[in-house]
Amino acid sequence: MSKPALYLSAASTISHQPTFRNRGFSAALEPVEASSALISPDYKAYIDAGLLRRMSKILRMSVACAKDCMEQAGTGQPDAIVVGTGLGCLQDTEKFLNTSLTVEGLLPPTSFIQSTHNTMAGQISLSLGNHGYNMTHTQNTLSFEHALLDAAMLLHEGDRNVLVGAADEHIDILEDIAVRLAFETSAPLTSAASFFVLSAEKQGSAKVVLTDVYTGGGAKYGQEDIDAFLDRNGLQAGDIDLALYAGDPVQGVTGNVDYLSLAGVYPTASAFALHYAIDLLGTNSEVKNVLICNGLRKSNLGLTLLKAVEA
Amino acid sequence: MGVCITGIGVVSAIGMSVDENLSALREGKTGIGPLHYLQGTKASLAGEVKASNDELRAALGVGTEYVSRTSLLGLQAAREAWGDNKRSGVIRTGIISATSVGGMDRSEVFYKDYLAQNNPDYRLLTTHNSGSTTERIAKELGITGYINTLSTACSSGVNAIMLGARLILQGILDRVLVGGSDALSGFTIDGFRSLMIYDDQWCRPFDDSRAGLNLGEGAGFLLLEGEKSLELTGNKPICNVSGWANAADAYHQTASSPDGKGATLAIEHAIRRAGIGLDQISYVNAHGTGTKNNDHSESVALQNVFGSRVPAFSSTKAFTGHTLAAAGAIEAVFSVLAIRHNLIFPNLNYRTAIAETGLVPATKLETGVEVNAVLSNSFGFGGNNSSLVLTKYE
Amino acid sequence: MDSLKEDLKKQIIEQLNLEDLTVADIADDALLFNDQGLGLDSIDALELIVLLEKYHGIQLTNPEEGKEAFKSIDTMAAYIRKRKEA
Repeated sequence: MSKPALYLSAASTISHQPTFRNRGFSAALEPVEASSALISPDYKAYIDAGLLRRMSKILRMSVACAKDCMEQAGTGQPDAIVVGTGLGCLQDTEKFLNTSLTVEGLLPPTSFIQSTHNTMAGQISLSLGNHGYNMTHTQNTLSFEHALLDAAMLLHEGDRNVLVGAADEHIDILEDIAVRLAFETSAPLTSAASFFVLSAEKQGSAKVVLTDVYTGGGAKYGQEDIDAFLDRNGLQAGDIDLALYAGDPVQGVTGNVDYLSLAGVYPTASAFALHYAIDLLGTNSEVKNVLICNGLRKSNLGLTLLKAVEA
Repeated sequence: MGVCITGIGVVSAIGMSVDENLSALREGKTGIGPLHYLQGTKASLAGEVKASNDELRAALGVGTEYVSRTSLLGLQAAREAWGDNKRSGVIRTGIISATSVGGMDRSEVFYKDYLAQNNPDYRLLTTHNSGSTTERIAKELGITGYINTLSTACSSGVNAIMLGARLILQGILDRVLVGGSDALSGFTIDGFRSLMIYDDQWCRPFDDSRAGLNLGEGAGFLLLEGEKSLELTGNKPICNVSGWANAADAYHQTASSPDGKGATLAIEHAIRRAGIGLDQISYVNAHGTGTKNNDHSESVALQNVFGSRVPAFSSTKAFTGHTLAAAGAIEAVFSVLAIRHNLIFPNLNYRTAIAETGLVPATKLETGVEVNAVLSNSFGFGGNNSSLVLTKYE
Repeated sequence: MDSLKEDLKKQIIEQLNLEDLTVADIADDALLFNDQGLGLDSIDALELIVLLEKYHGIQLTNPEEGKEAFKSIDTMAAYIRKRKEA
């Protein structure tokens, strides 16, 4: 079935790497270290002080990236705002849980209010004054792919520009939990937010087209599922110039990069991979087809296919 | 032909099945009362599902203790909605659930022990994340592939239905099991108390003296099928999902805008998409939580859209309590029942109209009215507003 | 300076996380909920109710009553004193 092309007109990431407002960052990235910290911009430049003072890490990152994206895209109000998050607002959740279990009298409400998963999408709509469709997907490691698929559907239904992104934040107790539950990770646990503008038409200097997104859960996925996805898009593994993967590298592709080593580990790290891919496609004309293969969990498979805009 | 509903399932404070819920709705029997199963909270009243976790596990045949109450409630309703349907290699099937706090009912047990350094059981956290509650349900029903969870607070349930319908219309899936589930937890009870919108007395939706909501718990699921799926399953459609919309208030972090902006947009767009006239809406199942803010905002929105001709409306939250992410789905099931049995459900515990708007809800069960199209509203925290229009299957 | 008012300012700054403000920045008669004043909103109003109980042992059960009491530092101090005398 022929579907209109979808353009990635803007991208913004705050992470443990120097990604924010740093075009070309993909060229010089080193693996993220355990000792690394979130590299935050001066949030006051993006967020009104009255809202900022209450915001946790995940909220600040998300709203700042969203604002940055809107500035880059220059398209005015997005028709919709779609966010993915695996674990949601952990900092405020833990804070309110703590409060509710330890405080005897009245409980301060702010952390409860900001503990709900859709706080990011809600705060973004508040800062932009946006009344459009506003959605939050939370399907652990596939949260971002689901958000992306939803955004793509909206554009096929007639929207022109959709702000779509994902965020997850690290809190100290996660380290303890990872050890206790024998959850081994190949890279340190981190936080990050990545936002994008997906458009029905080529905006400005957009260099990347989103061709297809797939999400599969509740089963064992392998190379045959990846090949089937590529085949549905008229491609084979050999046509892919770069595969950004979490889990196992993609067979049949010469350029495989483990994106978790760059982003660190958090449920929606595939959003970081998308920005990395956009950044690379924007600077390296050798790279035409990119596949993001999210196998962070064995029973979940997220596939995102990108291609460089025809010059 | 669009999207239709061929299966429904529900568990709430007023019953463990569709039939039990329907009986209670007919008889005007509320399920809100003192809590029995959830211990140690400060709420005097809530809409608790009348079964312990052990009872739910036994009835559902779930062996492990490491499963959240949210999953158990969801499984109960999902099983009922799925019924005898089978897995199929040909019918592309998905599941979308919605939840506010996922497995928090288990996680808070962990955290209490963790704070007290009382040998906390870390495995209780394996059911915490929202996505896992849906995976649990999918696993029991044998659904793989498209498994998704939405979390937009009180509007989540309707959003799951809307997304399912869109996936079918876009030809990405042929049938989708959609719904929502939320269990009561100390976390949410304390949360709403901290906002000072939890009424210590039985809630009074749309009443001038209303003082807040009572929380509830439960789950609602609906099986949506498109044309292709219907041909293959031979299932009988119960009603059509004709209209839906989601709009943001962008007004405040928690309060709905007093001019009902987002709510007005959601209602208007949903009815417009349904392609029917305003005067064809037979009944409105309102969000009607009983808070000063929502009921006022929603009344204003209804008047914005319908002018002086607001259809018969009621909130069923005085029966079930506010079931958060499950609300939109449970109330969609109630809306299906309204159409199927030509009923308008009463708005319990109402006495006096809200002074500023003067709207009077239905206070008695209406039978023998033709209910052809129902508008169901679910308006959430952070100004996320969703509306659904269901119509009689022709 | 009235020490109750000074304490109130410190507590408000902490409870509401007003990172950029100091006690000196808050005038006694500044309208707390006005955009020209501190620009607080309804969530802050709830936080102030918590503050009243936590630091001053006063229970304000009706949020409506708070509207008058919380107009400014002056009115808050007056309200606290009145409640303590009763």
